Amino acid sequence: MTDYDALVVGSGIAGMESALKLGDMGYKVLLVEKEASVGGRMILLSKVFPTLDCASCISTPKMAASIHHPNVTALTYTEVDGIARDGDGTFKATIRHKPRFVDEAACTGCQLCETACTVAVPDQFNADMVARRAAYIAFPQAVPKKAVLERAGTSPCTYTCPAGIKAHGYVSLIRSGEYEKAFQLVLDATPLVGTLGRACYAPCEAECTRGSLEGTLPIRRLKRFAADRHYAAADGPGVEVPRPNGKRVAVVGSGPAGLTAAWQLARLGYGVKILEAAPVAGGFLRLAIPGYRLPPEVVEQDISNVTAIGVEIATSSPVTDLPALKSDGFDAILVATGTQLSTDLGVPGEKLDGVVGGLQFLRGTKLGTGADLAGKKVVVVGGGNVAMDAARTAVRLGAAQTTVAYRRGRTELPAHKTEVDDAERDGVTFTFQVAPVDVVGDSAGHVTGLRCQRMALGRPDASGRRRPEPIEGSEFVVACETVLVAIGMAPEGAAFGGSIAVNANGTLVADARSLQTAVPYVFAAGDVTTGASDITRAVGQGRRAAHMIDRWLRGETLDGEPSPGDGFEMDDQLPLVDKPSVLGRQKAYGRGGALIEAAPPAARDFAEIEAPLTEAEARAAAGDCLDCGVCSECNECVAACPSDAIHLDMRESVEEVSVGAVVVATGYKLFTADAKPEYGFGRYKNVITGMQMDRLLAPTRPFNTVLRPGDGKVPERIAYILCTGSRDEAPGPDGRGGVNNPLCSRFCCMYSIKQNQLVMGALPLAEVTVHYMDIRAPGKRYDEFYEGAKAMGATYVKGRIAKVTEKPDGNLILRYEDIEHGGALVEAEYDMVVLAIGVQPNREVERLFGGDDAIELNDYHYVAERNEDIDPGRTNIPGVFVAGTASGAKDITDSILHAGAAVAQVAAHLESRKVPA
Amino acid sequence: MSAKQPTTIPGARAAEPKARRIGVYVCHCGGNISDYVDVQAVADAVRHEPGVVVAKTMMFACSDAGQGEMEADIAANDLDGLVVASCSPKLHVVTFRGVAKRSGMNPYEYNQANIREQCSWTHTDDRAGATSKAIGLVRGVIGRTRLTEALEPLVVETTQKALIVGGGITGLRSAIGMADIGLGVFLVEREAELGGWVGRFGPIFPHERDGRELIAGLVVEIKKRPSIKVFTRAEVVTKTGTFGNYQVGIRVAADPPQTITAEVGSIVVATGFDSYQPAENEFGTGLDAVLTLPEFKDLVDHADGPLRHNGRPVRSLAYIYCVGSRQPDGNEYCSRFCCTATAHLSIRVAALDPRLRQYHLYRDIRTYGNFELLYTEARKSGAVYVKYPDDAPPVVSVEAGGGLAVAVRDLLSGDEELEIPVDLVVLVTGMVPRKNEEMVGLLKLPIGRDGFFNEIHPKLRPVETMVDGVLIAGACQGPKCSAESVASGLAAVTQSASVLKKGVAELDPLVATVDPDRCTWCGKCETACPYGAIEKLSLNGREVATISEAGCKGCGGCVPICPENAIDLRGYTDAQITAMIDGLLEEAIA
Repeated sequence: MTDYDALVVGSGIAGMESALKLGDMGYKVLLVEKEASVGGRMILLSKVFPTLDCASCISTPKMAASIHHPNVTALTYTEVDGIARDGDGTFKATIRHKPRFVDEAACTGCQLCETACTVAVPDQFNADMVARRAAYIAFPQAVPKKAVLERAGTSPCTYTCPAGIKAHGYVSLIRSGEYEKAFQLVLDATPLVGTLGRACYAPCEAECTRGSLEGTLPIRRLKRFAADRHYAAADGPGVEVPRPNGKRVAVVGSGPAGLTAAWQLARLGYGVKILEAAPVAGGFLRLAIPGYRLPPEVVEQDISNVTAIGVEIATSSPVTDLPALKSDGFDAILVATGTQLSTDLGVPGEKLDGVVGGLQFLRGTKLGTGADLAGKKVVVVGGGNVAMDAARTAVRLGAAQTTVAYRRGRTELPAHKTEVDDAERDGVTFTFQVAPVDVVGDSAGHVTGLRCQRMALGRPDASGRRRPEPIEGSEFVVACETVLVAIGMAPEGAAFGGSIAVNANGTLVADARSLQTAVPYVFAAGDVTTGASDITRAVGQGRRAAHMIDRWLRGETLDGEPSPGDGFEMDDQLPLVDKPSVLGRQKAYGRGGALIEAAPPAARDFAEIEAPLTEAEARAAAGDCLDCGVCSECNECVAACPSDAIHLDMRESVEEVSVGAVVVATGYKLFTADAKPEYGFGRYKNVITGMQMDRLLAPTRPFNTVLRPGDGKVPERIAYILCTGSRDEAPGPDGRGGVNNPLCSRFCCMYSIKQNQLVMGALPLAEVTVHYMDIRAPGKRYDEFYEGAKAMGATYVKGRIAKVTEKPDGNLILRYEDIEHGGALVEAEYDMVVLAIGVQPNREVERLFGGDDAIELNDYHYVAERNEDIDPGRTNIPGVFVAGTASGAKDITDSILHAGAAVAQVAAHLESRKVPA
Repeated sequence: MSAKQPTTIPGARAAEPKARRIGVYVCHCGGNISDYVDVQAVADAVRHEPGVVVAKTMMFACSDAGQGEMEADIAANDLDGLVVASCSPKLHVVTFRGVAKRSGMNPYEYNQANIREQCSWTHTDDRAGATSKAIGLVRGVIGRTRLTEALEPLVVETTQKALIVGGGITGLRSAIGMADIGLGVFLVEREAELGGWVGRFGPIFPHERDGRELIAGLVVEIKKRPSIKVFTRAEVVTKTGTFGNYQVGIRVAADPPQTITAEVGSIVVATGFDSYQPAENEFGTGLDAVLTLPEFKDLVDHADGPLRHNGRPVRSLAYIYCVGSRQPDGNEYCSRFCCTATAHLSIRVAALDPRLRQYHLYRDIRTYGNFELLYTEARKSGAVYVKYPDDAPPVVSVEAGGGLAVAVRDLLSGDEELEIPVDLVVLVTGMVPRKNEEMVGLLKLPIGRDGFFNEIHPKLRPVETMVDGVLIAGACQGPKCSAESVASGLAAVTQSASVLKKGVAELDPLVATVDPDRCTWCGKCETACPYGAIEKLSLNGREVATISEAGCKGCGGCVPICPENAIDLRGYTDAQITAMIDGLLEEAIA
């Protein structure tokens, strides 16, 4: 017994006809369609020749019957990945249910998700002439009328964000003018929206696909734009204060990791208290990053998000005894104390007055207790971001000369390039390939200089950077009064008195995935466990810690192999979208608004340097987004859906079914008109394809009239070019390539004649001219239909068009040899040109059958019929039949008859295998 | 056969206008209706009609979403009447009856108002007028719906056998198809030999398979299948019975002639075509060296070297296309197969004698689809194609020396007048409908304007005719090549099997009924019935008319004939028709 008597692949007219007729005969049929609706291409047509029936009227009853028929199981948005013979003459088919991200049973087809969706992509169901949303219902007559969320993968910006922020989401919200929603989307990950809008190093921008075109989107500054809008208008985060769940968590440290974890835990209902050793909250955000990069009031606004939902922050409250904290009534403790120790130079003279740790220097500056550098010469040792901050701060404090000494070369500088550039712009000088030997001081113990040694770069070390090696006898002294040491930082792991194990580098020992330490109630997150990193990674660690602490407190497992869907990982992302395919699907790269970078202010003070984006700049910049993953994960549809039908965590599922026979009804592909460059499709806006004209004429037409796309003008002179992509073996304009299709596509003459009649009906004043090779109207009532179009006034001119050129007004010149009237060269001008594109084989059929079971194709890559004269539709594989255009160009009527022929043989095949009762 | 009786549900509610709960749906049909009719105004106008509980517009009532909305409304409002104002009931009455049925309503309490073909499409210039007409049409159908009764379809058991008329390639392949699905077959061929046209052919396009061999292969297969009964020199002479159960009489020309009665569930007509026979002098017809396409094919099929005709070598020939096809004053249709058949012959002739000059005088070369390859090959083999104007066909004449010449205007060479001396002229004659008046009358086969048999709808029901259970296949429906004819034959097999394999068929209960108390048996209805469904019955000592429910097609022809007003048509009762008229007249047509 098989699961189904027959599998029908493809639900175009031939597939539906096959499935319904087999179902009528009493066979159990599985009908598989890869698109979101059954119906194939016919449902998209305007009317059909020669009866001029409305295509919808003919299709919809068959479409509805396909999903209501008691013997037919129709699966949409599903692909057949493979079909293999099963030994006993039956087949095993691998069926892949693509995730709709919409619960089909719950979806009512109300289209609120479509309205809410912030992503627009070309509407393939309208021949790309208009846009549809990423959340969409295929077309008004779709069967089933259920929404689909198109997701090509995770967008690179979102995928790369260490904090798990939906970067594409907030960009698309800003593009839609939903600034507050953009803010809220970031807020969903971290309270530090304003901070990250300024001080994040934006790994998202490095990955932006637009970067390989004219340049990356200013994603970070868009976040700042949303934050500035929010804080200018709102007091507090604008989220509901959660109901307490009765459990309490202590967070030690109020840096980005601690604040983010506290925010996440508090929103889950935990009572959270942050204990901060310093007199102000914010950690390095307040005590290290200079105000010109991150104004302290921005940090305060971000921190107020946390306190607004009930998190208590105790400053000047150092913690050393974790068990004691636990016994104060906390159910769990998160240690997020960061890296508080500056690494020593380890050279003589380090204790002299004037040698200051970089972190301590920055902290002192922020707290107003720092050294007075006015008129002094300063040397900063180190090449990281702290060194840059220290150097630029020294300049702002009035240092006469600020020099950065770094032991490797410029290209090895670990600081971000923008920081280095800005430091140089501030007047900082750099000395490369030098290392301190000792600090030189006077008798009073004050620094007078730094003795350095030149370094040569040797072989790469473990970090991949070339190891600096001292050059003998190259010592020299740099005169200075202050040495700022910024060569590294380390956590103060030992601060907890040995209650938590500490690694050799001072970091706390914690599981990398669960962040739990050996003491179950103690978790560690951020730089204290990873070593020095950056704000965004710390935010990500804070999110993770909150997620894991919540799991642990709810009694869920934190070890063992996570399995999909168990909620262990907090961001169950789709794989990274394929960037080349993103670029491939973009047709125009025109950029909305180039950002004009304002010159940084000359003033060297602590006021914020970077100017905010104006609203117009933000909208234009967001508008440049390529929507790499299609869905931006902005979550607007989830919020809009009244029946909670949208689930972004849906994943594809694969099943194997056994079937007795197979009908391949995979149809055809339309010729891609830009492969005939002489006709200008894709370059000339008023050159459209026959399919596009059919959409312009369809009852569900995009513009409610026939107009030319270039300027919306109603065309008065319309030309058709028949045989575009058919009967064409001429080389391309470059002398090579070309269309290379010797076949006639069979239905283009007829659909053009149909459109001629419909256009003349819709636009009574329009002149329609058809340039043809032979008018092929070879069917019942077809020639009469052609004569009817002639009688209505359409003109038919024999001769192939050589070339189309565009005039500045968008009109088009067609060049041809007027062979019926003496053969003169003629140039005729039209408002609009319709290319009667033909058929190409759908080669996806090849991957259905693998290995020894390969389905035989003919010379033109259509499914071969073994004995077309007697057994139309029979393939080389016993039990596999082909219906409709998968075996070659056919019009609708012939496809239906061909399907009927295939079905008769499917039934015969199934009957022949029945064991007589 | 057995028909389930009666069709009216016992105790069905008496039609009581005020008690009804009717849903009315006015369809935009995309813009097919709403571009010319204010559909919202229509819905608003009928919203307060008696019995109407729901009145709304829909973008596409037939779409799954539209159907779903109706189903929900029926359930929520406990509707017992449904009206969709949309297209012709021909298209969608089955669709919306399905909606009613799925929702637990009786499907025959659904009625359709045609405001597209009968309104929006005919009044594209008068939106106000079209709108008020639509309101009237919908009101009328609401009135009719207030008086509907719940009806059950008539269920008949079907005979699992088919009659195939015609033993050409289509009929033969169809017979095998039927047998292989488990249906018994009676195959009737008029000639003594099976095979039809193809059985007389040598190689046929596009796969070069020999026609005689193809037929021989099919005949071997038929002999292997005992469920196929073949009658040659036979004709169908009688047909009685009703859908799913026909009794056909087959007369076999034996000595003495015998008539066999066969019980069948469906009838496939595959009687093929005739070749166009040009009139005397048409393009030189009657001259020795002027051949029709079948005559020339026969010549080529039997040639084993350079062509000779009547003992003389053929060194040049001209094909004149579209003889008898695409003629404004004759057959208007294109005969579809002849361009390709001629290209195929041209290739074979060139293979026999590469030096033979071949001129193709054509209007459009219609080698559609992959057949284009044959056209290309023919040109590569040296054939010359000359396009002549539609209104200036070539002229065949006899030259002084007795040879033939063809005068033609060559549009492809600057409209030059050519005079081509040739040894042979081939008239590319197309297919014409085969004369078969007795069978047409017997089966009541519908005939189209082109003279070929007509299907109900080329896409929805491409092999069915208006006569239930009578299907058409192959070139009797219109010109087709061999492989296409076979495909349509197998499609007819599929259609037969989709009805017969279930063993039962459902028939519409919208049939005429007689009130025996009123009937006085005058016999007028019996005469009027085109289906022979009315008989005399003796009931309680009186003679009254009785109507076979399976035989009645619901045409209503007997209803107005009855002088006693004793006949009513279910679904279209006098009361319902009156209500429709009243509803229609209520609206003043602008």
